[in-house]
Amino acid sequence: MSTTTASNGERAQPILFRGIDEEGLHTLEVYRRRGGYDSLKRVLDAMSPADVLAELQASGLRGRGGAGFQMGKKVSFMPAGQMDKYLICNADESEPGTFKDRELMQKSPHMLIEGMIIAAYAAGANRAFIYIRGEYQAQADILDAALVEAQAEGLVGERILDSDFELTLVVHRGAGAYICGEETGLLDSLEGKRGNPRLKPPFPANQGLYQGPTLINNVETLATVPHIIRMGGAEYAKVGTETSTGTKLVSVSGNVQRPGNYEVELGTPSREIIYGLAGGPPEGRTVKLWFPGGSSAPVLTGDDLDVPYDFDALAKAGSMLGSGAIIVVDDSVPVVAVALKLAKFYKHESCGKCTPCREGTRWTVSMLERVDNGLATPMDLDIMASVQEQIIGNCLCVLGDAMAMPIGSMVAKFRDEFEAHIEAARTRNPFGDEQPSPDPVLVQGAAA
Amino acid sequence: MPRPEIHMITFTVDGREVRAPENAMLVDAAKLGDVEIPVFCYEPKLGQPVGACRMCLVEIEGIPKLQTGCSTPVKDGMVVITQSERVKEAQEAIVEFLLVNHPLDCPVCDKGGECPLQDISFGWGGGRSRFIEPKRHFEKPLALSPLIAIDRERCILCYRCVRFSQEISEDYQLILAERSADTYVSTFDGHPYVAPFSGNIIELCPVGALTSQPYRFRARPWDIEGAGSVCTLCPAQCNVELTVRDERVLRVLARQHPGVDDGWLCDKGRFAYQSVHVDERITRPMVREGGELRPVSWERALDEAAGALGRAGAQSAVLAGGGATNEEGYLLQRLAREAVGTPHVDSRAGGGPGRELAAALGAPALQATVPDLEHAHAVLVLETEPVDDMPIVDLRIRKGVRRNRVRLAVATPRPSSLDRNADVSVRYAPGCGEAFVAALSAMLGGEGKNVDELASSAGTTVEALRGVTGVLRGVEVGEGATGSDEAGPRDIVILWGERLTQGRRGAAAARGLLNVAARLRLGGREGAGLLEVPVAANGRGLREAGVLHDAGPGLSEPPHGEMAAIDGLELPDGLARGDLTTLLLWDAEVDAATLAAAGTVIAHAAFLTDALRAHATVVLPAESYAEKEGTVTHPDGRVQRLRPAIGRQGGVRPGWQVLADLMARVGATQDPADPGAGDPRVLTGPMASRQLFEAVPVYAGLTLEELGGRGVRWPAREQAAAWPRADAGPFGLEVPPGPVKANGDLRLGTFRSIWAGPEVGHSPALRFLVPKPRVEMAPADAQRRNVTQGDHVTVGHNGAALHATVVLRDAVPRGTVFVETDALRAGPVDVRKAPPRAGPPAPDPAEAPS
Repeated sequence: MSTTTASNGERAQPILFRGIDEEGLHTLEVYRRRGGYDSLKRVLDAMSPADVLAELQASGLRGRGGAGFQMGKKVSFMPAGQMDKYLICNADESEPGTFKDRELMQKSPHMLIEGMIIAAYAAGANRAFIYIRGEYQAQADILDAALVEAQAEGLVGERILDSDFELTLVVHRGAGAYICGEETGLLDSLEGKRGNPRLKPPFPANQGLYQGPTLINNVETLATVPHIIRMGGAEYAKVGTETSTGTKLVSVSGNVQRPGNYEVELGTPSREIIYGLAGGPPEGRTVKLWFPGGSSAPVLTGDDLDVPYDFDALAKAGSMLGSGAIIVVDDSVPVVAVALKLAKFYKHESCGKCTPCREGTRWTVSMLERVDNGLATPMDLDIMASVQEQIIGNCLCVLGDAMAMPIGSMVAKFRDEFEAHIEAARTRNPFGDEQPSPDPVLVQGAAA
Repeated sequence: MPRPEIHMITFTVDGREVRAPENAMLVDAAKLGDVEIPVFCYEPKLGQPVGACRMCLVEIEGIPKLQTGCSTPVKDGMVVITQSERVKEAQEAIVEFLLVNHPLDCPVCDKGGECPLQDISFGWGGGRSRFIEPKRHFEKPLALSPLIAIDRERCILCYRCVRFSQEISEDYQLILAERSADTYVSTFDGHPYVAPFSGNIIELCPVGALTSQPYRFRARPWDIEGAGSVCTLCPAQCNVELTVRDERVLRVLARQHPGVDDGWLCDKGRFAYQSVHVDERITRPMVREGGELRPVSWERALDEAAGALGRAGAQSAVLAGGGATNEEGYLLQRLAREAVGTPHVDSRAGGGPGRELAAALGAPALQATVPDLEHAHAVLVLETEPVDDMPIVDLRIRKGVRRNRVRLAVATPRPSSLDRNADVSVRYAPGCGEAFVAALSAMLGGEGKNVDELASSAGTTVEALRGVTGVLRGVEVGEGATGSDEAGPRDIVILWGERLTQGRRGAAAARGLLNVAARLRLGGREGAGLLEVPVAANGRGLREAGVLHDAGPGLSEPPHGEMAAIDGLELPDGLARGDLTTLLLWDAEVDAATLAAAGTVIAHAAFLTDALRAHATVVLPAESYAEKEGTVTHPDGRVQRLRPAIGRQGGVRPGWQVLADLMARVGATQDPADPGAGDPRVLTGPMASRQLFEAVPVYAGLTLEELGGRGVRWPAREQAAAWPRADAGPFGLEVPPGPVKANGDLRLGTFRSIWAGPEVGHSPALRFLVPKPRVEMAPADAQRRNVTQGDHVTVGHNGAALHATVVLRDAVPRGTVFVETDALRAGPVDVRKAPPRAGPPAPDPAEAPS
C-alpha cells in the first residue's frame, strides 16, 4: 500500500513506514542492515529500565489502540519487585476499518519484536505474548518466522545480546471474537477461558494475566518504541502537536478513491488525509459522514473536515481518534443502512456479559430494522436515542458504548434523513412485509 | 491463611455517616446504613464480584462514571449517592433492559412472589415499557437435569449458576453458550447437570429460570410457610428451612449459617424431603404375628417391646445411630441402664476407642471448627471422602484452597475428589489408617528409622509422607521436609473420618492420631485442631449423651461399674455366642446375619429393609427429621436445635415419648410394687432436653432458647472445663499390623457414597442417583483378570460375594479395589466375570445394601 507523510513533507518524515515497502524487510538481515535492533543494543548496553521509561515519558507517546493513554504512564504503573510480570502486544486489530497493524506486522515484524523487548525491559517483564487476531494467519506466520530468526540470533530468550535480560515471547492466535481485542477480554482468552471482559479495577498493570502485573499495548505503540529510543524521547515529542505527539498510521477506507494506510503527523487537517492522501469520494460525490477513529467513534460530518487529526481536537469535535481508522461515507449511502450494519456488528460481537450492552444492542438492531422497513415512527427515534444514552457509561467494558456512540451521533446529526427514510419506507412498504435492505458496501467505486 | 483483621471506617451514603468494615463492598456496607442497593449478579457466597448485571450502579464523589456498588470496596471518607437523578436513571435503564427479554409470565412462574426481579422492578424500575419488538425465544421448559428445569427465556444471564458450578462446587459443568443476546446457560454438550450440589443453583437464581422439578407448580409463596430446622441426613447437619404447605414438606432451602454450611446444601439434603411423604414409610407400629409384621396399636407394640426387653434384662443390647437426637440417645441409655438393667449400649456399630481416648479426641481444646477449614494454613483430609461422608465441608475445603490459598493434603485409601485441589495427595492401603498415622507421627517426630518400616506397613511411601509433612509444616514439597518444627506451630486442621478409629485396633489408631496432633501442637490453638467426620449423622451427640458401652452422659464413668459391656463391634459375636438375645435398634442398621442371630429384634426405623422385614419382632415407626423435636450435636461441638416443621405422619410418635413409655413399662414390670418406678418423668420434648442438659456436664446451663436458630458450640463455653481430662499423648505406639496379604488377590476397600441411605432410594426425584453396585479398579488389574469397563463381575472370597459392575479408574492404586458395601469384610477379594444371567434381577434401588 502507498505510504506518504503529511502534505508539508518538510515538517516530518515517516517514522514507522519509512521504507516499509523495501524488499525483504521482514527478514532479520534487511531489518538489521537498516539499523534494526540498534535501539535494543543501546538500551541493553547503556540504559537502565528507568532510563527507558524516562524516554518513553518524554516522548509523550499515546497508545495507538484506541484509548490514547500515555504509554510511559502505563509502564510506570507496573509495580516494582520480583514477580512474574507480563507484556502483551494487542494485535487483535478487530475494530472495523482498521488494518494498519496488519501491514506493520506483515512488512516489518522485527520492528514490533524489537519494540516489545525494549518495552518488556522497561516494564520488568520476562514473558511476552503477541495476541494476534485469528484471521491474520499470514501475519502470524511471518511473526513466527521472525521470532525464530530473533531467537537464533540471541535477541529473544535468555541473556539477550549478552545482557542479563531474558524474555520469552509467544505468538498466540485469537479465535475471532471482537471482544478479545478489549484488553481484559484478551487476558481471559489468552488464559484459555472464554474471552469476556473483566471488572476494572483491578487494572491489568496490577492484576492482569494469571493475576500478575501486565502491560498491554497495541502493535503500533510498541513498534514506535525503538524509534523513540533512536530519536530520543524529546525529539520524538517535537513531531505532532503538544498533546498528540508523533505520527499516526491511519487506515482510510469507505468511499474514497485511494483507500489504504497512510502515516501522518498528528495534527494534520483531516481534509488533507481524506482528500489529499486518500483522494476523497468518487467524482461528484461529497462526504456525508466519516468515522475518524474506527467504527466505534461518533460520526463527524462533511462540516468537520477541517478538524486537525489529533486526539484532543477530535475529542473537542465530539468524536475520538480511536484506532486511527477513517471510514468515509459519501452521499450515495443511506445513513440508516450504515447505522444498521454497524449495530448488527456490535450486536453480534457483544459478549453478553453485561445487561446494557447485551440487551441494548439487540434492541437497537430491532428498532433500526423497523426504521428500515417502514414499521417505525419518528417516536421510535426518540426511544432509540434514549436507549443509546442508557447504554453509554453503564457497561462493563466499552463495547456497548462503541455502538451507542456512533448510533447516537447518527440519529442526532441525521434525524431528518432518518425520518425521511421512515416515511419513504412506509410508503413503499405499507404492510411491513418487505425484506430488509442489503447491507451497504463501503468500498471504492461500488457505491458510485 | 489466618482470618484477615477488620478495620472499621466511616463513609457517607445518601448523607448518612455509616461505620463499616474497610474494603467491604459498597452494597454490603450501605446496608449497615439501611440503604439498599439492588443487585442481581452479586452474591458474596460466590466469591469475587463480576459486575455483570449493572443493577447496582451508584455515584461516588470524585469518580466521574457511575460505579458498580457490588465491586467497589468502601474506603474511609467515601461519599456515596444512591438517590440522585443520575443513579435513578441508570437503575431504571437496567431494569428496562432486563425486562426487554424477560417473559411476563409471573402468574404461572414458580418464582412469582419470591422473585428478586419482581421486587427490584417494583422498587427501582421505571414502571413503563417501551419495547414492542418480539422477545427472545427458546425451547422451554427443558430439563437441565432430572432435578432442575431450565427456562432460558426467563434467564437474565446473571452468571450466578455458572459461577457456582465453576468456582464453588468446581464441577465445571455449567457454561454460558453462545454470545450476546443469544447467550444461554447450558452444559457444554447438553448432558444433564448432575452433581452432588447442583440444587444450589435453583436457590441462587434471581428469576424463575432454574426451578426445582419436584417443587414445580406445587405451591405459590402465599400458600407456604417456612420452618427452620437442621438436616440430619449426614453429620454436616446443615441448617435448613423447610417449605411447608398443608402439613407437607414441599421444598428444602438453605438457612445460611457460616459456622455450619455457608449457605449451601447438597442435593441429598435438598431433595430427600420427599421420603417424608412416601407410602413406603413406616407410620404405624408393627409386631410379628404368624411370621409376618402386622400393624398393631401402640399399646400392643410398646407392651411387646417392653416385655421383651424386661425379660432379657442384661441379655439385651441397644444400638443407636443415624439422626437419633441427643435426647433420644440420653433416654435410650437410661432405658437400658436404669430400666432394663443392661450395660450393652452403643452408638458405634463399628466400634471405636475407649472412653479415655474418646475424651482425648473430643477434648474442647483440640476441636477445630468448620470455618477453620477455610482459614487454616493447611488442612489434612484423613480417611474420609468429604463429598460422600459430610458433603458440605467439601465446598468449604475448596473455598479455602481457592480463595485463601489453604494448603491441602489428602491421605486416603480411595482416590478423592479433592485430589486435584490438593498440594499433596497420598494413598495408603485400605484398613491401614493406623499404620499411616503412626508413620506420620514418626515422621513429624523425626524418628527417621521407623518411618521406612511404618510407611511400608501402611502401603505408602516415605516420599508420600514427606509430601504430607511438607504441606503441614509449610515447606515447599520436595524441599526435604522432615520432622522439624522450625517455623513454629501453624493453624492446621485435620479432618478425619471416624472409620480411622473403628475396629479392633481403633484405640491404637486413635493414639497415633493424638500423637500427630501433639507433634503439630494443635491443642489449645485457635483456628487449629481436629475435626471428626462421624459415621452417624449425630455420632458426636449420641456419644456425648452417653450412648457408649463404656461411658455415660458427658463421657462420664459408666454407671454399671465393673460389668463388662459389649460394644457395637462385638455385638454380632455376642448374639452368636448367645450372651445377648434381644436387640433394640434405634435408627441404627446392622446386617441381616446379625439380626438373624438375635432372638428378638425391636427396631425403631422409618423404612423397612429386607433384613428388618425378615427378622424384626417389633417395629416402631421413627420420625423424619422434619417432624423431630430435640437437639443434635455437630461434629465441631455445636449443639443445634431441631424444630418440628410438620405434624407427625400417620401414627408416628415422638422418639422421646416412645422411650419414656418404654421406660415406664419396663420399670413397671421390674418392680410390680411400685408401678411408677421406671417413669422417667418426661412429658414433653423440652423436658427431655432439660434432662439432657442437666445430665451432660458440658451442656450444663444450655436452654433451647439459647440454642435458638444458630446453635451453640459447647467447646467454646465455660462449662467445657467439665469435659473429662484425658491423657492426650504423645503415646508410645505399638507396631501396627501391615496391609492384608493379598496373595495375588485384590485388597478390598469400602466406601459409602453420598447417595447411600434409605432417604435417597425412597425419594422419587433422587432415585435415579442410587448407586448401582460397582467395583472401582485400576485398569491394569482389570486387564489381568480379563474384565473391562461395564462388565458384570462377582467380588468376594470364600463364598461371600456380591455382583457389581466394573468401573475403571486410573487413580485407583494397583492391587486394590473399592466397592460400595458394608456387606463384605475387609480382606483379599477376587474379581471374576459373572456368568451371564438370564434377565438379571435388577435390585430395587430402595432396598440396596446401604
